[in-house]
Amino acid sequence: MIHFYHVTKRFDRYSTALHDLTFQIEKGEFVFLTGPSGAGKSTLLKLILRQMTPTEGQVVVNGRNLNTIRRSALPFFRREIGMVFQDFKLIERMTVFENLSFILTVLNVAPREHKRKAYAALRAVDLHHRMNSYPLQLSGGEQQRVAIARALINDPLVLIADEPTGNLDPDMSQDIVRIFNDANLRGSTVLLATHDRDLIRESGRRVITLEHGRISDEKISVGERAPARSDNVFGLAQ
Amino acid sequence: MARDFNTQGRHEPNVPSNTITYFLKEALRRTWASKRTSFVAVAMIAISLFVLGCFLLLSENLQRAVERWQGHSRVTVYLNSEITPDEQRGVDAFLASHKELASRRFVTKQQALARFRSYFTNLAEVAGNLEENPFPPSYEIELQPGIAQSAGFEALMTGVRRLAGVDQVQFDWEWTRRLRRIIEMLNIIGVAAGGVLAMAAAFTIANVIRLTMMLYHEEIEIMRLVGATERMIRGPFLIEGLLQGTIGGIVAVAVLAAGFFAGQRTLAPSSSLLWGFLFGCFLPWQKIVALILGGTIAGWFGSWLSVHERTEEA
Repeated sequence: MIHFYHVTKRFDRYSTALHDLTFQIEKGEFVFLTGPSGAGKSTLLKLILRQMTPTEGQVVVNGRNLNTIRRSALPFFRREIGMVFQDFKLIERMTVFENLSFILTVLNVAPREHKRKAYAALRAVDLHHRMNSYPLQLSGGEQQRVAIARALINDPLVLIADEPTGNLDPDMSQDIVRIFNDANLRGSTVLLATHDRDLIRESGRRVITLEHGRISDEKISVGERAPARSDNVFGLAQ
Repeated sequence: MARDFNTQGRHEPNVPSNTITYFLKEALRRTWASKRTSFVAVAMIAISLFVLGCFLLLSENLQRAVERWQGHSRVTVYLNSEITPDEQRGVDAFLASHKELASRRFVTKQQALARFRSYFTNLAEVAGNLEENPFPPSYEIELQPGIAQSAGFEALMTGVRRLAGVDQVQFDWEWTRRLRRIIEMLNIIGVAAGGVLAMAAAFTIANVIRLTMMLYHEEIEIMRLVGATERMIRGPFLIEGLLQGTIGGIVAVAVLAAGFFAGQRTLAPSSSLLWGFLFGCFLPWQKIVALILGGTIAGWFGSWLSVHERTEEA
């Protein structure tokens, strides 16, 4: 599903974020991406979303080479990728509901469906009671959960999350990982970048560790294997 | 189950109706959110179209006046005030002998004075105070169509001029020819001035949209990242410019109409002839629609300029 072939990303002569990375993530996999700050995690995720292009090498997502993708095809590519941004990227002038509804408008979902889908997505992150609040009226953790709900609302083919539990307490973090697990069980390929070693430790998932822009370790974490499928909280998987 | 996707060969579909609703809602919301800058843009469009409208209105009314005069091409033969009955009979016989002159009407001194009083009501008192009637008797001659352009006409008029008792011969179409030239000039000046102002207004709208886009820079970035097409991003801005231009056009026509009908009501009855010509009729609906459409196009062009410039940068 996601293939990196000898990918290097250089910002300038003295600053190289990624060095000759080669790895692949299969369809339906759930992979943790970890490493210290500045290791290149966010850059790697940005390459997958085609927010930037590699200096060298090729990035291929679902058979699509992102180096050569046409500009006009880019929006359709991105619609199939759910991204939880580190800085949430919520539209401040829109309510929580409108932030989600906007995505559904982009996806040409009929307006009569918006409320139901938005409610289901927000209920999954336990924020259905804040539908009419504005992002700035929410705490950091709540904003992060709205961003997660937005990424999941379309039942994406690939789900990418950049530190999605960074502002959450341990219990809520576990709940969020459960939501990602559900998405994975519905068929989404998940790539989750995190610092949180506790979250990774017992997941039983594949972990890619980055250091100084290079893969320093790649293993399956110990502990439970992938969890059993829980209820389809979104009701979107028909 | 998450869907498979293949972006190869996919094209942007037609904009669905809910997207058009979104464009309109967003455009209206943004116009309202930046009221002051939107007001400047609308005012600029309105002013430029108002100026153009004034020229169009003036030329429209002059054109109508010319057409009315030209509808019956006329020669006026002014006679000496002290013309003898024999001399007048001689003039009348000469005029009657030429078939090119379709009809003639003798206007006495008294009739000329009465006509002056009815045309220039505010000068009627002045005319009443005169000891002697200053208006000469005259013949008003209607011409056969096309005769004024014929080769022998000038000679015929020279013959009339030489008749005993004839003081002056006046061709109306010399005036109409001059007026036509003035109308042409007015149209050129109007279109040039209106065009320059409309361009300035379009650039004002372009700047307003540019400012709005800078204001919504982050939002645009988010829209791109979640898969909004360029059409979806640009749409509300284009509609915003289009709305501003259309509102400007409507405001220009409304102000022009209000000014015209107010002027017609207050000025025209008191001093009939001049104002009667200038306030004869308002613009025909085709020109009204053209003015409003001009605003729409200027608005759309302005927003198109900035939207393309900004999205090319992205």
